[in-house]
Amino acid sequence: MAAAILEARGLTKSYGGRVVVDHLNLDCRPGSVLGLLGPNGAGKTTTLRMLYGFVPPDEGAISYEGMEFSNHRSEAKRMIGVCTQEDSLDYDFTVAQNLFIYASYFRPRVDNLDRRVAELLERFELTPYADASPHILSGGFVRRLLIARSIVHRPRVLFLDEPTTGLDPSARLDAWELIDGMRSDGLAIVLTTHYMDEAERLSDELLVVHEGRDVAHGEPHRVIGDLLGDHVIVIPRHEPARDRIEAWLQGRGAVQVATVLGELRVPVSKDDLLALSSEFEGASWQVRPPNLDDLFIALARRNGRIR
Amino acid sequence: MSAAESLTAALHWQSWAVFRRNALVFLRNWRTAIIPPAMEPVIFFVAFGVGFSGYIEDLDYHGAQINYATYVAAGLIAYTGFGTPYYEALYAAYVRMFYQKTWDGILATQVELPSVVWGEILWAAVRGMVNISIVCAVIAVFDLIGVVDVNVAFLVLMPFLGFIAGCAFASFALIFTAIVPAIDHMNYPVFLIGWPLSLVSNTFFPIDPQNALLRALWQINPVYQLAEAARGLLVFGNPGPHLVGLVGSTLLFLVPCTVLSTRLTRRRVLGE
Repeated sequence: MAAAILEARGLTKSYGGRVVVDHLNLDCRPGSVLGLLGPNGAGKTTTLRMLYGFVPPDEGAISYEGMEFSNHRSEAKRMIGVCTQEDSLDYDFTVAQNLFIYASYFRPRVDNLDRRVAELLERFELTPYADASPHILSGGFVRRLLIARSIVHRPRVLFLDEPTTGLDPSARLDAWELIDGMRSDGLAIVLTTHYMDEAERLSDELLVVHEGRDVAHGEPHRVIGDLLGDHVIVIPRHEPARDRIEAWLQGRGAVQVATVLGELRVPVSKDDLLALSSEFEGASWQVRPPNLDDLFIALARRNGRIR
Repeated sequence: MSAAESLTAALHWQSWAVFRRNALVFLRNWRTAIIPPAMEPVIFFVAFGVGFSGYIEDLDYHGAQINYATYVAAGLIAYTGFGTPYYEALYAAYVRMFYQKTWDGILATQVELPSVVWGEILWAAVRGMVNISIVCAVIAVFDLIGVVDVNVAFLVLMPFLGFIAGCAFASFALIFTAIVPAIDHMNYPVFLIGWPLSLVSNTFFPIDPQNALLRALWQINPVYQLAEAARGLLVFGNPGPHLVGLVGSTLLFLVPCTVLSTRLTRRRVLGE
């Protein structure tokens, strides 16, 4: 396994006396995607903002290739690319000029910039719009340009803050392909997303953040298993034994019961599933592997956001 | 972020990268961008300078008899030198910061916030130079046809005087840019500060306050110093003490305003 290019230790940040990020550790390696997950207000964006230098941490240290960020800020910023959630394209310039002007904010200057811009326009399928204003681009192509712009200076670490939010399914799939391609190029990518399938498919490693703290980290399937168990049973709204099953499960300690559109979703262990089958023969339910939707619901419930 | 870091950022390449970005946008649109700001001082000059000239007797200006249009010519240079960078740093910078999110994009690079502030200050001051140059061209034409009587050769220095003072005005304006909640609230710095300051600084009429405190305030007012330095050069070929006054008053504004506007902008843009 390659050595981490980005290392953060003990990151802590408070606003107005409230701890938003609480002693968080994370690593990101070349050619891998670290998915940063958590419900709204979990501290993901604040963590990202500390990592790319928008705000300093109150405690903790960040290093890029072993260089302490606070002491080698300019060198570190030269090796990172940032694609923020908000559209911050420069609408005073054309699509191609956006790439050129963005490159001018880095030193040492980008080698063979003309070629680099042409290559990015081609790769992100923006060549037909090179001389047009970004105003004419669809949401998917705006996102492509934002991502292309964030890597124009050939960074080694890329931060993608919810890169597919608001995109239609087809544009999302295109963005996944691009992200996967950048990973194959050896970029270390830190990704935040609300889309569970995106996190599962794209991330090599997940870091689940809840109230600013690391509640689980590791490979996506392992993280989900650790937090939720082996299976989720889904009991339909009209199942007559539903209330009894719920009470029975809660009696066995299955506390993370969630109701979604009338369906009861309960993460259970293998043993519980076997016991449930023999206890409620004749009742109907579905069994499926847990996914990150379940994880989010569990975390949000823990946070008191949903019942 | 120390005060020294805020101030020395003027010399960093990052500040000039931001300046370059704004200059490139201007150069792309200069034909349309230049007309409205250029017309305003010309209209003022024709309306007040030429129009009132016929009704106002010659003025005694430090022993020299000058007509009112000549007096107003230097005033318009000061008015433009103040108004252009002040409004550029208020409105245009606000649009870039708040609506276009241009600063957010820039701050995700190697450019740090003090450089964004300095890039805006330098650009606003250069915009002042551009508009002063246009005003000077108009003054030269009026001199040629005998409406005003100025030392035309000294007109070439006016944009440079304007640049010095323009840095002060832009840094001052950026304080408001950082704190106004919405663009509608720009009316406060415009009507409560911009207009009064541009009118009572020996631009369109002479003011000679007898009160010692007011006199001292006049001395640290860069608009007044700019008007008087420009008038001294155009009438006598000598700015008198006002060149030093201009540099001094500029520094008095520039240093604290830059430090303060950087801190306030940091709070607004980065939430720190």
